Amino acid sequence: MNEQARPLPAEDSAAAVSAASERAPSRLSEAGVAAAMYLGCIVIALIVSAIIVWVTGGSPQDVFSALLDGSLRAPGRWGETIGIAIPLVVVALGTAINGRAGVVNIGQEGQVMMGAAFAAYVGVNLAGPGPLVIVCLLIVGALAGAMWAGIASWLLYWRRVPEVLTTLLLITVASQATGYALKVDWLLLAPFREDRSVRNQVSDQLSTGVRLPRIDIWGNDFPISSIAVVLMAVIVFVLFRRSVWGFRLRMLGRNPRTAQRAGVSTVTYGTTAMLISGACAGVAGAMMLSGGDFGNYRFTPGFANNIGWEGLLVALVARSHPVGIVVVAFSFAGLRAGSGFLAATGVEREISQVVLALLVLALLVPPAILFIRERRRALSATRDRT
Amino acid sequence: MADQPTAGTEVPAVRLTSISKSFGAIAACDRVDLTLRRGRIHGILGENGAGKSTLMKVLIGLVLPDGGTIEVDGERCQIKDPHDAATRGIAMVHQHFSLVEPLTVWENVMLGDTGRFDAAAARRRVGEISEHYGLGVDPDAKVGDLSAGVRQRVEIIKCLRRDPSILIFDEPTSVLTPGESEHLFDVLRQAVRDENRAVALVSHKLDEILHATDEVTIMRAGVVVQRMETSEADAPMLARAMVGREVSLRSEASALGLIETAAAAETPDADSDGQIEVAGDSSGTRVPALRLRDVAARGPDGRISLDGLSVDVFDSEIVGVAGVEGNGQAALTDLLSSLLSAESGTVEVAGTAVEPGKPGAMSRAGVAVIPEDRHASGCVLDMTVAENLFLVDIERISTRGLYDPAVMRRDAARLIADFEIQTAGPDAPFWSLSGGNQQRVVLARELSYSPKVLVAAQPTRGLDVGAIEWMTDRLREVAASGVGVLLISSELEEILQLADRVVVLFRGRIIGEMARADVNLEELGLLLGGSDAAASAAEAA
Repeated sequence: MNEQARPLPAEDSAAAVSAASERAPSRLSEAGVAAAMYLGCIVIALIVSAIIVWVTGGSPQDVFSALLDGSLRAPGRWGETIGIAIPLVVVALGTAINGRAGVVNIGQEGQVMMGAAFAAYVGVNLAGPGPLVIVCLLIVGALAGAMWAGIASWLLYWRRVPEVLTTLLLITVASQATGYALKVDWLLLAPFREDRSVRNQVSDQLSTGVRLPRIDIWGNDFPISSIAVVLMAVIVFVLFRRSVWGFRLRMLGRNPRTAQRAGVSTVTYGTTAMLISGACAGVAGAMMLSGGDFGNYRFTPGFANNIGWEGLLVALVARSHPVGIVVVAFSFAGLRAGSGFLAATGVEREISQVVLALLVLALLVPPAILFIRERRRALSATRDRT
Repeated sequence: MADQPTAGTEVPAVRLTSISKSFGAIAACDRVDLTLRRGRIHGILGENGAGKSTLMKVLIGLVLPDGGTIEVDGERCQIKDPHDAATRGIAMVHQHFSLVEPLTVWENVMLGDTGRFDAAAARRRVGEISEHYGLGVDPDAKVGDLSAGVRQRVEIIKCLRRDPSILIFDEPTSVLTPGESEHLFDVLRQAVRDENRAVALVSHKLDEILHATDEVTIMRAGVVVQRMETSEADAPMLARAMVGREVSLRSEASALGLIETAAAAETPDADSDGQIEVAGDSSGTRVPALRLRDVAARGPDGRISLDGLSVDVFDSEIVGVAGVEGNGQAALTDLLSSLLSAESGTVEVAGTAVEPGKPGAMSRAGVAVIPEDRHASGCVLDMTVAENLFLVDIERISTRGLYDPAVMRRDAARLIADFEIQTAGPDAPFWSLSGGNQQRVVLARELSYSPKVLVAAQPTRGLDVGAIEWMTDRLREVAASGVGVLLISSELEEILQLADRVVVLFRGRIIGEMARADVNLEELGLLLGGSDAAASAAEAA
């Protein structure tokens, strides 16, 4: 009897005990730690910003008040914030998908440009019933973004060209190409008008029939694409949580060899993830154009206006969690909308930019710390194993 | 408990007194005493988790003890970090290599040096050490090109270069072939006898302890259970002390390194004998569960790794692939894991041809794999235990592309119970499991999709006695249930103990085959060395 009841090898029981003690109460306390970290970082950022504004002769209170006014408090402003948040969410959702598959896409800025440019061409030139044209321009925008990301993906799997480089460099190509399209009449340049002495380098405005309808709530108006965006977040959430595809995508991202053995083709899944990511950025561009919050329904040089980059940041801060992405995107959009009101406070532009950057940084630090902590814990656990 | 051996009146090189160290509620070491003397090899024997590694980490400064004293050369001291240990002349050769593959041997040895640096002198010094101890390591060789045994010797050079007076070896033979182990112990003997160093040899293999050490300390569950002169010890006695109960040497012989193969070969036990007959009778008519014909493949470096390999595995049969490591074992496992495509030749599973390089093709065809390096291709460390149990066949619990995490968790809990996996639960991250339990998860998953063939590559490597016993029993059960098992192992004892049929892998092809009952150790040894004469003799037979 006694012989049968062999004690567990100490290592096993140690792991079990430590895992148990880490796991059971962990969920809550982990969340608490994260929340405290965010709060702490934001408070520190606010204090440092206040000091900077105060030292340079401004009023910290005015600055923060202006930020709040511009993003939420003033009439109509939270509608504006939602309008900005829409493309951020879409870009970030795409980024979450390619991140999950372990492929890097940092070229969203270019993909947004391409999506918007192609959407502008369709929106201006395609004749037909408004809603149909809108659907067409959104689809074409998505295809354009996917195509742009697809180039990087193709180079990656064909010749192992690092996608970090290609996606990044394709931003420059996109901005030059769309810039050129805005110079020639047969592409995007708006026709010459007699009543204007200067010919602006912009596209024709989308006619009212092919603009996304806007929702109006208490004087806050924003495009109906917002509903589609929430739906997209839900879909991505389900994909990540419950779908076989999402499961296999994660497997690929975390251990490509295991994935290949289990039937996940690196090329197929990696390319699909990249194409979806590009399509998201492209459709974000198309939504920006047809939504009206950017460029007043015209495609302009530099149309993407850092939305691609910021979307990337949103995904990073939200740690690729679909719900987190919506929340973070709204915060980032709030800062963007609020910054419009900063000029009125008399604080110099450079200083107000520093304040904004500090607040963004405050949101970036906690996920980085959490990530490093997790990594460390996993590493030390594997090391102790031996 | 035996008295400490008295070796004259000289001051011991190291005296650890009453060392304790706890991790959480678990006492890894509980008032452990250990004395290392110059000119002697001290074996420290124990199962995984017995506390031997922790004790050594205390000595090398990687772990700070909760209590107890350390004396080095009679002087009481604290060892705060490995650097501290190095200045006191203590050096350790770790179980896992820390070498940079693209660099040469001497560059690796010099890594971590600070200050002025004389490349020519460093190179010369590495050559001298290698020659002095007969290590036969070329200082200019690229580490990436070297076998595990030679890499180990590079680690030893790294260690000896600082001329330490106290050497610690942590499971040094876990990746070595028997010949390489012999060589290692010769070097150790020399370092001890001629240069009066003190050596601590940590191991869970009995034969190593018996052959290589002068005295032995046996640990179990954090305490010293026995210490004695090795000359007074014998294998069953050590095994009993280490495991804390009678050991059935049959299933654990390989773990403990008791080479009883000659006896086993003469009197094969009944069940394996019977299986050989079944396989022999029907091999002409029955379709093999797995058939490889003239398979050739190249590794990622472009070198030929499989060169016309042919082998059959029938239902209910364990085929052991013996061979010195580096002769294509890794490529064969990769091929059967859909990680490597064949350049020529065919792979058939139960009579159906499979394209091996296609992702997932082998597992879909019913080839389960316990990979040699489970972290590389057997699991996803960052996923949960439940998810790892469903990596290959998530479709089983999904409808229209969606699965229910609750169902996954429930099914996983059942597998966890069936396979006695020690874990906090289905949601625990996979990395939180110990090696033996990770291996159980892999086996549980691979068996859960009713495979036709199970490929087990070095399935017991790095596991402790209890885990090895469990694993070998499972492999037998799997074969008994009708699955063909291909056991790829560099431990001959393991193969002879489990396999019904033994094939020998040499330079990417099978050069010999014999039924377990006909195994002739001498001939097998020649085959392992690639001897042509033996190969043709085996083919003739």
